[in-house]
Amino acid sequence: MSLLGGGILKGMAVTLRNFVGSYFDRDRLTTNDYAWRAGDSLPQHAGEYPKEEGEQLRDTTTVNNYSRNFPMLLHDEGEPMDSIRCVACQICERECPPQCIYIEKSEDKKERGGNKAQFYPAKFDIDVSVCMSCQICVEVCPFDAIVMNSQFELSTPDRFGGLLLRRDDLLKSNGYYHKIHPEEAAARDQRMAEEKAAKEAKKKAAAEAAKKKAEENAKAEAEAGNEKQEDPQ
Amino acid sequence: MSLVLDILIATVPLLVIFPTLFAFTTWLERKALARIQNRVGPDKVGVPLTRYGGRFSLFGLGQPMADGIKMLFKENIVPRDADRLFHLLAPILALIPAMLVLCFLPLEFPWTDSLKPVQAFLLDGAVIFFFAITGLNTLAVFMAGWASRNKYSLLGGMRAIAQMVSYEIPLVLSAVVVVMMVGDLNAKEIADFQTGGKWIVGNWFLFTPWGLAAFVIFFIASLAETNRSPFDLPEAESELVAGYFTEYSGFKFALFFLGEYIAMFAISGLAVTLFLGGGAGPGLDAAPWLSVVWFIAKIFVLIGVMIWLRGTLPRLRVDQLMGFAWKFLLPLSILNILVAGFAWHATQQDSKTITVVTWVISLAVLYMTAKGLNQLNRAKVRPRNYRYAE
Repeated sequence: MSLLGGGILKGMAVTLRNFVGSYFDRDRLTTNDYAWRAGDSLPQHAGEYPKEEGEQLRDTTTVNNYSRNFPMLLHDEGEPMDSIRCVACQICERECPPQCIYIEKSEDKKERGGNKAQFYPAKFDIDVSVCMSCQICVEVCPFDAIVMNSQFELSTPDRFGGLLLRRDDLLKSNGYYHKIHPEEAAARDQRMAEEKAAKEAKKKAAAEAAKKKAEENAKAEAEAGNEKQEDPQ
Repeated sequence: MSLVLDILIATVPLLVIFPTLFAFTTWLERKALARIQNRVGPDKVGVPLTRYGGRFSLFGLGQPMADGIKMLFKENIVPRDADRLFHLLAPILALIPAMLVLCFLPLEFPWTDSLKPVQAFLLDGAVIFFFAITGLNTLAVFMAGWASRNKYSLLGGMRAIAQMVSYEIPLVLSAVVVVMMVGDLNAKEIADFQTGGKWIVGNWFLFTPWGLAAFVIFFIASLAETNRSPFDLPEAESELVAGYFTEYSGFKFALFFLGEYIAMFAISGLAVTLFLGGGAGPGLDAAPWLSVVWFIAKIFVLIGVMIWLRGTLPRLRVDQLMGFAWKFLLPLSILNILVAGFAWHATQQDSKTITVVTWVISLAVLYMTAKGLNQLNRAKVRPRNYRYAE
């Protein structure tokens, strides 16, 4: 026979232990202290804090590999618009559950990063007041062009325009991505390199196969020619 | 003129102290819940009207004021199809009864030229009036749910009616025990009855078997009456968005919030009056004004337990909620009245042996009944029989 209401008392003991313990044991705290202190000027970008090296390691809000807030567009080294990865295929726009992405395809094609000329987004807007951070756009993107940012300092006095992120606000370099999500970015880069290598190998193999086939064809034709020549005899 | 002055002296303290305490309680609740969940809670907002809250954050004590200012300036949104009149009246009706019943608490403010301390409203039927007027709160909640024309609000309002009507019965029946023992409905008489004795806590009803049982029932029922966790079904945010005040914003929402907390103070105040000896405490002979301090301190102990429980317990299911009121609390509180009746007659004999025996027997009877009711109500869990799946 257990004490009546003993379960409630046991639960209350657990919460009391957490309550008291959180004042004495810093490791208990599941959230990290926001480095901003009263009297400091307001931070402008997520990258500005945590300010000290020691604090940075503890701050899981920005260093954690899979923390995410809203999407951003990736570009490789160089001028953002010269190396943007997005080709305005609009898959993410169609897949987005709350439909917060708006893309307008460019009229012309543009060559970038040694690849063949492609379309680029003339407009790429994300309404972050609608976005639910589900990351489905990231999952469906075949070009690794859209990934999640962890910037959360997005408050603005303008609740309509200020919460609509334009293409140029969304463009971030791959280096920035490496900084905020090192593991994820490294894995993605590796996979992209592997895919590229596999593609090239395939291309090479295809080219070789084509060459071989052409040779065979030529040979066969030559043989056929010979046979033809021999035929009248 | 002196009449107006008297009214002001009696009522203004209530209108100043309790809303201030409300602001403090919201901060306290956020802090305590955060610490229970191993978070820090609000700690950045400091002195208001200075740039970035000034250099001193004061443990985030500026947070309630910031919240209040924000609430005042927020847009008042009323749904297009809402019943505008009742949508407006509901938060007012939620606040007024809660404020009104504060007058019945035996809080005596000592500042007058004569030596007699002032109580807002000394009424012979205070306990009855208290329950009659807090019953209005149900109406306000349902009015809000109905007028919003929103399914979540309506569901919240309907749950609120079922819950508040059910829990009002054990609430009143547990208070009956104290009224029986004192033989008076006057809140001040009840508080005075419990002062004195060998120790300060000697006469408190909390420290009698029937009083303890009544207090536990009263406290649980008061949690349900004020829609506090684990009985917060009318405003279950994970099920009903915010329940009956889903469609409220800005100052109306603030009024609901205020009304809810004032109701918490009021019902805790009644619990203090009935079971915890009112303003009784050490040092009253030297400084009579301490009774107000003791009274509010006891209220805060109860509020603290409410917050603690909110951080501990998950929300009940609707059937568990109703079953708990009708199958557990109601029979137990009725039995408690019987026990208290026997005990009163037994203790009238003025014999120590009889008193001790009565105490032991009533404690055993109450505990065994509670235990038995608990066993009877236990859900019958059988191994699940799968018909279609392997």
